[in-house]
Amino acid sequence: MTKKKYLKLGSKAAALSMAAALSVTGLSGAYAGTSADGTLEWSGFLENATFLRKDVGLVKFRNTVQLELVKQFNTGNTFSELSFNVTFRGSYDGVYDLNKRDFGRNAGGAINLQSTFSAGPPSVPHGGGLVSTGAFFFGFDTAANPNSGLIVLGSDSHANDQGGVSFGVPVRPCDIDNRGCIPGYLDLSLDNLRFPEFNSRMDFLREAYIDGSIPFSNGHELNIRLGRQQVVWGRTDLFRVLDVINPVDFSRQNIYDELEDIRIPQWILNMDYRMGAVGSFDDLNLNLVWNFDKFRPNSLGQGGTPYQILGAGGFFRGMKNCWDNGCTVANFAGLPVPGTTGLAATDFAPGSIGIRSAQMPKWKIGNTQIGFKVEGVKNGVGFSLNYLTYLSQLPSLRGGSAGPAALNNFTGEVKPWPYLIAFDIAFPRIHLFGGSADFYVDSIKSVFRVEAAYTTGEEFANTLRPELFSKNDVVRYVIGWDRDTFIPFLNKDKAFLLSAQLFGQHILNHELQDTPATLAGVPGFTKAGIPDWKSNWIMTFLFKGWYMQNRLSPQILSAYDFRAGSAVISPSVDWLISDSWRLIVAANFKFGKGPRKFDDCRSCNPWGPFTATPFHANPFAAGSVGLGGFEPLGRFRAGPIGMASREDEIQVTLRYRF
Amino acid sequence: MRKLLTYMLTGVAMGIVSTASAADLKDVENSFYPYKASVPQHEGLKSGMTINQSNVEQFKDILDEGMYQFIKDGWTEMKVTDTMAFELNKAYIEATKANLNKAVLGDKTGDIKGFISGRPFPAEPSLDDPKAGEKLAWNYKYGYNWGDSGAVYPFYWKFRDLNSAKVERTLKFNFHFLNLKHRVNDEPLPDLPKNPANLFRAIYVQVLEPFDVKNTQLLIHRYEDDLKRDNAWLYLGFQRRVRRLATGQITDSFLGSDLMIEDFEGYNGRISDMTWTYKGTKNVMMPFYKHNEQELSTEYKMSDGYQFVEYGGKGGCFPNVDWQLRKVYVLESVPVDPNHPISKRIHYVDAETFTLPRTVIYDRKGELWKTFIIGQAHPDYHLAKNKGSGVSIDDSFMMLDVQGAHCTTGQFKGQIDSKLSPRKKFTVQNMRVTGK
Repeated sequence: MTKKKYLKLGSKAAALSMAAALSVTGLSGAYAGTSADGTLEWSGFLENATFLRKDVGLVKFRNTVQLELVKQFNTGNTFSELSFNVTFRGSYDGVYDLNKRDFGRNAGGAINLQSTFSAGPPSVPHGGGLVSTGAFFFGFDTAANPNSGLIVLGSDSHANDQGGVSFGVPVRPCDIDNRGCIPGYLDLSLDNLRFPEFNSRMDFLREAYIDGSIPFSNGHELNIRLGRQQVVWGRTDLFRVLDVINPVDFSRQNIYDELEDIRIPQWILNMDYRMGAVGSFDDLNLNLVWNFDKFRPNSLGQGGTPYQILGAGGFFRGMKNCWDNGCTVANFAGLPVPGTTGLAATDFAPGSIGIRSAQMPKWKIGNTQIGFKVEGVKNGVGFSLNYLTYLSQLPSLRGGSAGPAALNNFTGEVKPWPYLIAFDIAFPRIHLFGGSADFYVDSIKSVFRVEAAYTTGEEFANTLRPELFSKNDVVRYVIGWDRDTFIPFLNKDKAFLLSAQLFGQHILNHELQDTPATLAGVPGFTKAGIPDWKSNWIMTFLFKGWYMQNRLSPQILSAYDFRAGSAVISPSVDWLISDSWRLIVAANFKFGKGPRKFDDCRSCNPWGPFTATPFHANPFAAGSVGLGGFEPLGRFRAGPIGMASREDEIQVTLRYRF
Repeated sequence: MRKLLTYMLTGVAMGIVSTASAADLKDVENSFYPYKASVPQHEGLKSGMTINQSNVEQFKDILDEGMYQFIKDGWTEMKVTDTMAFELNKAYIEATKANLNKAVLGDKTGDIKGFISGRPFPAEPSLDDPKAGEKLAWNYKYGYNWGDSGAVYPFYWKFRDLNSAKVERTLKFNFHFLNLKHRVNDEPLPDLPKNPANLFRAIYVQVLEPFDVKNTQLLIHRYEDDLKRDNAWLYLGFQRRVRRLATGQITDSFLGSDLMIEDFEGYNGRISDMTWTYKGTKNVMMPFYKHNEQELSTEYKMSDGYQFVEYGGKGGCFPNVDWQLRKVYVLESVPVDPNHPISKRIHYVDAETFTLPRTVIYDRKGELWKTFIIGQAHPDYHLAKNKGSGVSIDDSFMMLDVQGAHCTTGQFKGQIDSKLSPRKKFTVQNMRVTGK
């Protein structure tokens, strides 16, 4: 998209944003309030968020209304306090109407996919693979899966002319084009996208819980909070090491939104037994959390939506379309034509590769999630010990020998094939053991926060395994440092907050091996195994100041992914115009290596000997030799920052509180 | 003659030269009942009159530097009432007598031994006593400020532009105070059990409005050992998380106001964080009044009919309350930390109540930065529940940043009611449970 379009859409959105603001101004009669008896309080806000992305234009025009109610009850004898709390949130994201060419009903179009086979064209249209109908069982019906409403997988994050694998991704809302939509998981209609809270899970009811405290004669107290709510564990910002009870909605703004706004509330029983000072503990509490809601995974964003963490939504949708309708895969087949080089785009038949289904956990007691926490303060150190058993909020792709029965495009045989990229999505159970602490070190005027977790049951893509995934235990931690520091030449009256965090992740029993091709030094091949880094760290740094009695707050938030080599810098200015009006102007710029390459399993030889490469010593033996590209597994090495490297944005948010 | 009446350098006037002499019951009597025999007077000063631009020069000697200048510049006027006794709670006075001379200071500032309860050093301070300033500071710290527990419930703060009088922001809080040790009234006495950290005092603050800081909570734990650093935590509503505060945040603007946490109640830090110097005793006009007889605001409607103090004057920064001539100790505190944002405070310590109704704050260059008024209301002319409590009630405040031409004002509804401040409120976990 041209700069002209960027500016044109920008001014259009800004004008609409102003119109929304002006319409809000008309609501002068609305205000926060309290009932005459003081037992009912209400408040809320209206907000417009307008985000513009470089080379795209408008990516968000979200208009939100939120209303919060708290009703206190006469407590009687049992409860010392009893209240009912409700938060409603509804929003309309106009981007699907204002920029429908990129994200709405007119999104996508006809695509061409690279084909490096030297005796053929450099690219072919979707459905026009060089290996196609007539060759064994290859080919698909382009009437059912036409070359329209598509983008090339990853085209919004990297080039697609480097010999890697890719395929078409349908990008229109699922009620307009249901190709690639995964029922019960990623199947949002245009209205679902425009009005995200108004769905079958009643997300407009953001919170609704009863909160009560029962005092005991020994001074202890039992606090019970029952209903739809957020439960926050841990002591760190941005990273979710212990704060994993509620799934989160990355489709709102990738990893950059406040967790408060993107945690997906769950129906939870949250009980705290507060003992106060006990023995040598200054404060001691026991916490039980029972998430009895029907399972909700993280919302990753759907193919065709502006925000998709790791670009996963597009990949899943393209893969689902491949399974349901067949698809053209770029640079796939090495053809036995003497004197030629390269790989030919190939039309796979339906039911042969891709994602068959998402196995969404049904509601039953065994699928609920439960956690325990001991939290307290001892010798001035705040601490917690945590345990949580929960269902993974991130999807696991179980393929190959653990995947669906799939059609061998050469023989017509249908069965699960080791190393075949045919998957079902699962959400495995995870056990988390963790803890946290915070303390102050006076000599350096600094607060330290640490948080760590050890998990079992997580599943990772692994091209060394016949099922293309492995279970690995993981250690994660965050070390946070906060210091308030006066910088007189910037502000002589108010200190700046310097806050740094180091997030570490270590995958135990990590597998990553050279292949015959990498050992031979052949270009285009990578090691095979788990694409996620064995050990990786992300550093964040926040520099925040305040002026005008805290009403003007500029800040710079930055993050660097060490192994991915990617960084993001997000400067912003938060201006509290009055007690009612707030304006936030922000930018989000990415730097660094961006997308990364990894074994894409084109050379996994699931249908030997037909799919064997010269590097397969035994052409009948399945297993990867490491032919790689950006897609699909490079995303795990690029990480969420690297995969969004083209998503530089300017963001304006205007809020009116009442 | 005038000088004799208005500027008594106690050490000289009373001939006290011994710095280590033990206090006796007469000292206690003098300390708690300074106006029993007579009240201070100043030529031309009468109840019912107003000190303003036209007559301020006549009263320069009984005005602190800041108030003199404000009146001279026409920023405010001062309504004068008779000096009246603010007798503190009898149990506190009795504890002072019972524990007389038990408190002993160590060599290091902030080191005190043997203190049980009451006013630790009731004897008149002496300029010859190098520890006189620190003793006054201890008398303030262990004063009967809010009694064993108290609450400001609610508490309105307004951020105001001095020049335009525009109210930029209004915050609504609840403040709660609890003494875990050295209690004199509410059982158990003198110390609460189950206090493994050996805390002296806890302060809990909850922000109710406006929306962007709603549910913000602050918790401060002050150790009995003054040499130990306070623990402080902040719960941020939008993060739903408790964050431990660094010391820097205690000497930083609190939620954008003109106050730092260290300014609360006049001084809210450790004794050991400052070097204390007693500068003398004076009779100075102080904001002590009968709340129910003031011109009160009608802005906020309380269900019990309570009305808050009204503000006026330049920028709407000055409380419209009565002032009276009172005996004060001038006390200077200089931060030990060279990086502290201020160079010193001058506290005008009310000799009868050991509250800090006036404090003047100087920036790192030594120039006047802020001036602090904490209006004191007599408990018998306030809420019915406060009557007879023997607490000099913090009732109105103004922190004026003279360099920034800005002020923060505070309107209190102080309540001496232990039920409002149960011990469970002062835990980190309470912040998580109370927040949402």
